[in-house]
Amino acid sequence: MTTNPGRPRHYELTRRIIFVLVALAVILPYFSGRQQPFTPSPEVRKVFEKVDGLSPGDHLFIPIDYDPSSEAELYPMCLSLLRHCFKKGVIPIVMTLWPTSVGIAKQGCDEAAADANSMFGKKVVSGKDYVFLGFRPGVQNLILKMGDNLKGAFDKDYYNQPTQGMKALAGVNSLKDIKLLVDLAAMGTVEWWIAYGTDRAGIPMATGTTAVMAPDLYPFYQSNQLIGFLGGLRGAADYEKLLKIPGRGERGMLAQSATHVLIILLILGANIRIFAGRLLRKKEGLS
Amino acid sequence: MILKRTIPLLIVFGIGVLAFMQDYVPHPWSTAFRDEMTTWTMVIGGFAMFLGLYSLSHMHITKIRRKMPGWGYSIFVFIGAVGMIAVYILGDTIGPLYAGTANKKSLFDWGYEYILVPCSATVFSILAFFMASAAFRTFRARNLAAGLLLAAAIIVMFGRVPVSENVSLRLFGDGMVIPNLSKAIMDYPNLAAKRGIMLGIALGMISQSMRILLGIERSYMGGGD
Repeated sequence: MTTNPGRPRHYELTRRIIFVLVALAVILPYFSGRQQPFTPSPEVRKVFEKVDGLSPGDHLFIPIDYDPSSEAELYPMCLSLLRHCFKKGVIPIVMTLWPTSVGIAKQGCDEAAADANSMFGKKVVSGKDYVFLGFRPGVQNLILKMGDNLKGAFDKDYYNQPTQGMKALAGVNSLKDIKLLVDLAAMGTVEWWIAYGTDRAGIPMATGTTAVMAPDLYPFYQSNQLIGFLGGLRGAADYEKLLKIPGRGERGMLAQSATHVLIILLILGANIRIFAGRLLRKKEGLS
Repeated sequence: MILKRTIPLLIVFGIGVLAFMQDYVPHPWSTAFRDEMTTWTMVIGGFAMFLGLYSLSHMHITKIRRKMPGWGYSIFVFIGAVGMIAVYILGDTIGPLYAGTANKKSLFDWGYEYILVPCSATVFSILAFFMASAAFRTFRARNLAAGLLLAAAIIVMFGRVPVSENVSLRLFGDGMVIPNLSKAIMDYPNLAAKRGIMLGIALGMISQSMRILLGIERSYMGGGD
């Protein structure tokens, strides 16, 4: 680590101590294997109940709009949603608006399909029980196109199988034929899906996003443009708890608690130090 | 002048107005127009990727050629890009070329899963360290407004993690007091502020779109005009 010559020595030292403390706060609780009890939030519960209320053969559209950098928060959500679909017999239609997300979307489909066999004893097959459409360029225009003609936008799936006549897409001509859309996003795609996709098609939408994006979703949630949302790793943990299939989300809760508490203590400590310094200076000035 | 300015402006105006109008005209021609235009933009989007590839390569080649600060890192851009393209062609087209026999993962998938994903996640996770350090240094209750912001941040930060339920139960006899307080901050002040910002952005976007359609804003045509 290089030091900045313009900064005082104690600055670098404090910074390094904070880094070590954060590392310990993340690593030790995560690998301790202990879990903390918590209550799932109403926003996540609504998404879960909506997916749980779908009938076998219904279609759930899952755009994977995050790249590997947000994998830690969003991949557990992706796995839980897909597992939930396979458990219920709901057909997930997975696609992405971003070329860098193709690999991570495929990885999610493969892992959840393998889990369906080991967890629920179901053999899940691409093209029959789920569809992975892959990537097409166009972003907002692609969404518009899917709103009119989904099979026109994706004439083949990721595995080069024609979507026309595909068993998993039977009865699906456009986004209007989807029962629910859950956008897993780390970029500004949620608003695009609302404006160009679900609002026009008149279908319900939910989303799973990184924690920093979650505050932006409240206006859409209040206006019922989103039926609910999963915010950050906590959102993933809530969904895992409701699904009763533990995963990385629940496992990460103790580490997240420890890190948040550490940051709060650091902020409070810094403020107390400043106030104490001010009081001391005042006292010295008076005496 | 006509080729460089007038015709592009007319195309933008014509297509822009048609794209805007098609939402309000429930005629089959209108739907067909939208269908055609979205196909066009998807094709153009595909070509834009080549443009992006060219732009990225050009930037890094210039950096290497001129030995600009940090030019060594630019070499890794080409190692990564050429490497991934090569393993895709060899592994998925000419293949089979697997990284292992048990997992049957193609080298491209292996590279994506075990190099790109961990590297990207590592870079993003470093944020946690910088955020903790920055919060320690800058989150100061210098005045009443800063104090309120600090209090709200602490409540939201604490209310979002499970430990707040334990603390809340011990302090108030109800595990949901702190989480609900955190939720109330998100549900009301946060929502009001976000909605205001979003409406402002939307109005700005509408006015900017109008400027582009009417040819007042021309910077997208280049030439500093």
